[in-house]
Amino acid sequence: MNLAKKSPFYIGLIIILLVLMPLFAGKYTVTTFIRIIYFGFLSMSMGYLIGQGGLISLTQTAFFGLAGYVIGLMNIDHGIIFPWPDLTAFVVVFAIALFFGLIAMKTEKIVFMMITLAFGQIVWAFATQNTSIMHGWSGIRGIRPYVLYGVNFNDTTNFYWAALTLFLLGLFLLWRIVNSHFGLILNGIRENPRRMAALGYPVYWIKLVAFLISSMYATMGGVLACYNTGIIMPTTLQLSRSIWVLLTVILGGSTYFWGPVVGVVTAISLDVFISSATERYNMVIGILFLVIVLFSPTGILGMIDAVRKGQKLKFITKIFSTEKRKTD
Amino acid sequence: MDIKFIFLILNGLTQAAILFVLGSGLTLAFGLMRVVNLSHGAFYMLGGYIGYSVVKATGNWPLALVAGGLSIAVAGFLFERLMLVRVRGGDLPETLLTVALAMIISDLCLVFWARTPITLNVPKYLNPPVTILGVTYPGFRYILMGISILIALSLWFILYKTKLGAAVRAGVDDRETVSALGVNIQVIYSAVFVISALLAGLAGVLGGSYLQLSPGGDTTILTYSLVVIILGGMGSLLGAVVSSLILGQIMSFGLAFAPQYSYFLIFIPMAIVLAIRPQGLFGRKI
Repeated sequence: MNLAKKSPFYIGLIIILLVLMPLFAGKYTVTTFIRIIYFGFLSMSMGYLIGQGGLISLTQTAFFGLAGYVIGLMNIDHGIIFPWPDLTAFVVVFAIALFFGLIAMKTEKIVFMMITLAFGQIVWAFATQNTSIMHGWSGIRGIRPYVLYGVNFNDTTNFYWAALTLFLLGLFLLWRIVNSHFGLILNGIRENPRRMAALGYPVYWIKLVAFLISSMYATMGGVLACYNTGIIMPTTLQLSRSIWVLLTVILGGSTYFWGPVVGVVTAISLDVFISSATERYNMVIGILFLVIVLFSPTGILGMIDAVRKGQKLKFITKIFSTEKRKTD
Repeated sequence: MDIKFIFLILNGLTQAAILFVLGSGLTLAFGLMRVVNLSHGAFYMLGGYIGYSVVKATGNWPLALVAGGLSIAVAGFLFERLMLVRVRGGDLPETLLTVALAMIISDLCLVFWARTPITLNVPKYLNPPVTILGVTYPGFRYILMGISILIALSLWFILYKTKLGAAVRAGVDDRETVSALGVNIQVIYSAVFVISALLAGLAGVLGGSYLQLSPGGDTTILTYSLVVIILGGMGSLLGAVVSSLILGQIMSFGLAFAPQYSYFLIFIPMAIVLAIRPQGLFGRKI
């Protein structure tokens, strides 16, 4: 959390390196970084809800995919060009997130997780089965970035710089949100919703706003992803993807601001290295997930923190809310 | 009534039979342990695949049913004893563990079984055409319904007529008091989790003989079972019965009249119930 306060120098250095990266790295590396950026947005959207609000939402991937569908449908099927498809993507996802949120926020914890899982599956089901609008399994192909103000975003490097700019802005904005008054109230709700309600805070609406904020981050990721890959298919928003994103959050450290980013970088690097060696990426990732939950629930950053503070790694530490389970 | 409708209703009942076996296991475990076993779909798939291999090797379908169910029960027991018990008390870590297990199992299935969809072979003697009131329908589907009803009755018996069931029901209400009264709640937890896994394995063999088993199909199955228990109310056996009957009919009629939306339609009752009665049709507030 206080990485940024302690070391603005390192942050600056990393940013400069990231900006200069395409000048000395190959195209594959740049594309990998673009993947990290759009999945980073998605992971941030889930990580924000988990870390700040204690809400595990598995609908985020559906928002991510929906954004791509809106752009694909408007751009490819109806020939509408920038910026309308992109703006519509945000509006549509906002509306759907509001609808889902109004229902899901009535519940909490595990039940919330199950309901958001079901919501994600609703969108997936619609995208998979509906051929008249959503094109079914085949999805939509041929989504291309534009030439805007004389800059050709079809060029990987230009696209990378644009995505990086958005990513840094997104991170900065999220940092401000997390450390704002609103962010503190949300943390209070994560720790003890009943006490916050007793203090007069509208718990339901605050969680809903957090859900909407997170959906916008997922949308941003989805917009970048569909331009980068050029296709949008039901597989983009399937459950296994949501679970992968959940893994990245837990892997990096769900209670840390930088956790989701660290998690995505790790998971994608693993993908790059493992996929060339074996087909069993999911197995490796699953075992990693198991080990993390069992041995280091605070993730990689938690491990680093513990080592730095000279603590022994505890076998089990509590993640998420410390409130003990109660029987009503 | 048109004969087509009777067929659709019967298909819906067959579907409901499978949904009930699937959902009852999940709802049982949730009611007591507050753990949503997100590897339930993977358990189903693994059970189905094991059953498939047994049928292929021996041609004995009843043996496959037993093998599929028991092997998953053993797997569930090991998972509960070796892993889940270490994170007991934190419901989120417990759920995350089951997610990890689901990933590993579904990848394992890819290693050992075909990537193409498969269906268990049901021997002829189990599948005679049965004519009731002038409607001829595959006999095996009646067997499926019969097994499902049998399972429902045995669950009811276990829950309401045995000591274990009494402890489970008491544990749902207040687990601290139950353990204070000298009941070893850990044993109860294990027993319930094993029964739940057994049901998932059985459902896999039953479902795999009627529907298809395919790689990645575990998430669809998991979603079905979640919808069953969200709609019926988590922890309620009666809720699982009613919601699987409703969902079975929706799936069957949806497939016939709105194939583009058949999967989508099953979520409609869930969304309505959630908006009006978040604890589900027969659930109590959690």
